[in-house]
Amino acid sequence: MAADPLDALRLPIVPVEPRPRFADALLRRIEAAAEGRADPAAVRENPTVRYFVDDLGTAVAFYRERLGFEEELTSAPSFAMLHRGGLRLLLSVPGLPGAGAALPDGSVPESGGWNRMTLQVPDIAGAVETLRAAGVRIRAQVSAGVAVRQALIQDPSGNLIELFEPTAGYHERP
Amino acid sequence: MSTVSVRYIVDDVDAAIGFYCGYLGFSEQMHPDPAFAMLTRGDLRLVLVAPVLADHPGGGSRPMPDGTRQRPGGWNRFMLEVPDLPATAAELRANGVRFRNEIVTGIGSRQVMIEDPSGNPVELFESIRPEAHLSGSA
Repeated sequence: MAADPLDALRLPIVPVEPRPRFADALLRRIEAAAEGRADPAAVRENPTVRYFVDDLGTAVAFYRERLGFEEELTSAPSFAMLHRGGLRLLLSVPGLPGAGAALPDGSVPESGGWNRMTLQVPDIAGAVETLRAAGVRIRAQVSAGVAVRQALIQDPSGNLIELFEPTAGYHERP
Repeated sequence: MSTVSVRYIVDDVDAAIGFYCGYLGFSEQMHPDPAFAMLTRGDLRLVLVAPVLADHPGGGSRPMPDGTRQRPGGWNRFMLEVPDLPATAAELRANGVRFRNEIVTGIGSRQVMIEDPSGNPVELFESIRPEAHLSGSA
């Protein structure tokens, strides 16, 4: 049988991995925008933070399951983008192409360090206890600062995340 | 609660204020203590702290319970979108700002890494595809 001349015009079928979580998150944001209750921060410039992690899948699971981030896209094994409220978090893997690649001087990015995102929680003692019970490493227990109580936890790669709960005298920018 | 907050450890808070407000468009919100300042830029709040002793009232930069002191540096960083990266980079370079690399062109953006006076990285990027812009529904 002769080949169908239309075959030459047909596009190859490329398998696409379903991304139900991304689709759900997108749908929620579209619905929120349609109802006029979109978070104003979501339509302005989203503050963005990049963290280096040893293993992408482990890190994505940690930020989703322990800290309430939503997965926006993943380009395994080197890159993922998540968000939580107005914060966009980029995860990159040292030594892999992209932001994890070595610099011209040969230095390679690594996880760790002391600079960190700080996430506000309503009940820091409860949050830390829940995380501890889930096996999350606590770098510094809850302590009192000026107008906040705070604690430091670590992601599976050793990156710090600061949790804080406002106390008397805390100022939030209007 | 739309503000996103990031804490950077710096050697000298005043020098850091000069850098972030002078070159990167931050505004000083408060600087009530030599070891502490809070800056803002859009929805990003940047908390700058110098390492303090264990009995300092500010809790963010005290040593760890095991005595380890907090230091500037590392690779984790916040990112700022700029409309014209080559122009911004040229201006910063002319002002003596340190660069860790040259401009790298990626898939959705081009980016470069600079350092504050304490050696903390800040990533500047320019979107080169519309969907990579931070604003909008991307």
